[in-house]
Amino acid sequence: MSNKKKKTAGKPQVTISPKDYKGKVNPDWCVGCGDFGVLNAFQKACSELGLPSHKILVVSGIGCSSNFPGFFNSYGMHTLHGRPLPVATGAKLANHELTVIVTAGDGDGYGIGGNHFTHTARRNIDLTYLVMNNQIYGLTTGQISPTSRMGMKTKSTPYGSVELPVNPLTLAIMGGATFVARAYSSEGSYFVNLIKQAIQHKGFSFIDIFSPCVTYNHENTHTFFKQRIKHLEDEGHDPTDWKTACEKAMIWGDEIYTGLFLQNTERRTLEQLEPILDKGGPLAHRSLGLTEAQSSKIIEKLM
Amino acid sequence: MTFIITEPCIGVCDTACVDVCPVDCIHFDVDEKDAGQKMKEMKAADPNVDLEKLQLFIDPEECIDCAACEPECPVEAIFPEDEVPDVWKDFIKMNYEAFGQEAP
Repeated sequence: MSNKKKKTAGKPQVTISPKDYKGKVNPDWCVGCGDFGVLNAFQKACSELGLPSHKILVVSGIGCSSNFPGFFNSYGMHTLHGRPLPVATGAKLANHELTVIVTAGDGDGYGIGGNHFTHTARRNIDLTYLVMNNQIYGLTTGQISPTSRMGMKTKSTPYGSVELPVNPLTLAIMGGATFVARAYSSEGSYFVNLIKQAIQHKGFSFIDIFSPCVTYNHENTHTFFKQRIKHLEDEGHDPTDWKTACEKAMIWGDEIYTGLFLQNTERRTLEQLEPILDKGGPLAHRSLGLTEAQSSKIIEKLM
Repeated sequence: MTFIITEPCIGVCDTACVDVCPVDCIHFDVDEKDAGQKMKEMKAADPNVDLEKLQLFIDPEECIDCAACEPECPVEAIFPEDEVPDVWKDFIKMNYEAFGQEAP
């Protein structure tokens, strides 16, 4: 690590530069892909929070966006389609001192992994869930996803989609998530701040990120979002007001809101409520409590 | 990392890169945030405007390395920072300094 100190006055002193989080592999995303903005903002957020790589775990599912852990220098795990949340839950319970980030796409997170989404939200485990939502299945070359609009024409819907899209924000709010936000991948420092808040939040934090697919989604483009994005803060939105949060989350047209929709800092997290994690540090660092003879006997029985 | 605009841009300033940049980080006059667009307007108003010493720059802190600009450049002036040809290495420093940033 370069351990450079930023000279800019007024900013928090940064000891790890965003470049230190660059993975060994260069992203293979299409040129102009929104996911570059997410990776860049996440690197900046981790740098500004001063999180060392060895204290971060990034878990992903399957899809273009799920190659994320390979491009980021930390512990990482590329899991099965739709399953990053249960894997991350296990990892967090095994070592609750890790900062665990989960990255997914709309197909992975809201389609095949939709069930895990609602259950992880209600458990309020301290994970940060970043969903790169491009409103299409990009890796499989352009079929409708759970967030494609009704009527959208794709390879799999030549006459237009006949299905209502899911609303990830209302789903998360109703599911019991304690931090619910929406961002656009090109929003620079505004987006970086949202990620920082999400990481710092104690409990399940979720950001639905518009991350345009420049190759297969010709409707929800960078231009589409740049013309429509409005910030909730400018409207004086109160993040403790879940009813208004739901109303704002359902607005979709000439104006689309980004920002922090809901935050509940009162509910305790799963780790705080789990008595076994109360004392003794992370399970991963504790002794098994078995003698060598006992553990050998168990292994022998299982073989 | 960032992308760097090099010598072939001088006097050309095509701005095709400005159109495709998702984070609007390409400028020619760093004092103005929408300088790339301003360049387009200048050229539209007067096609013979003197661009002799002008070139576009990419703000290294804002660039997200998405590479959208690279194939758009008609004079092939844009390179990833670590692939800038030796003859144009000076442009790395120039790009950073244009935004008051220290080159690595």
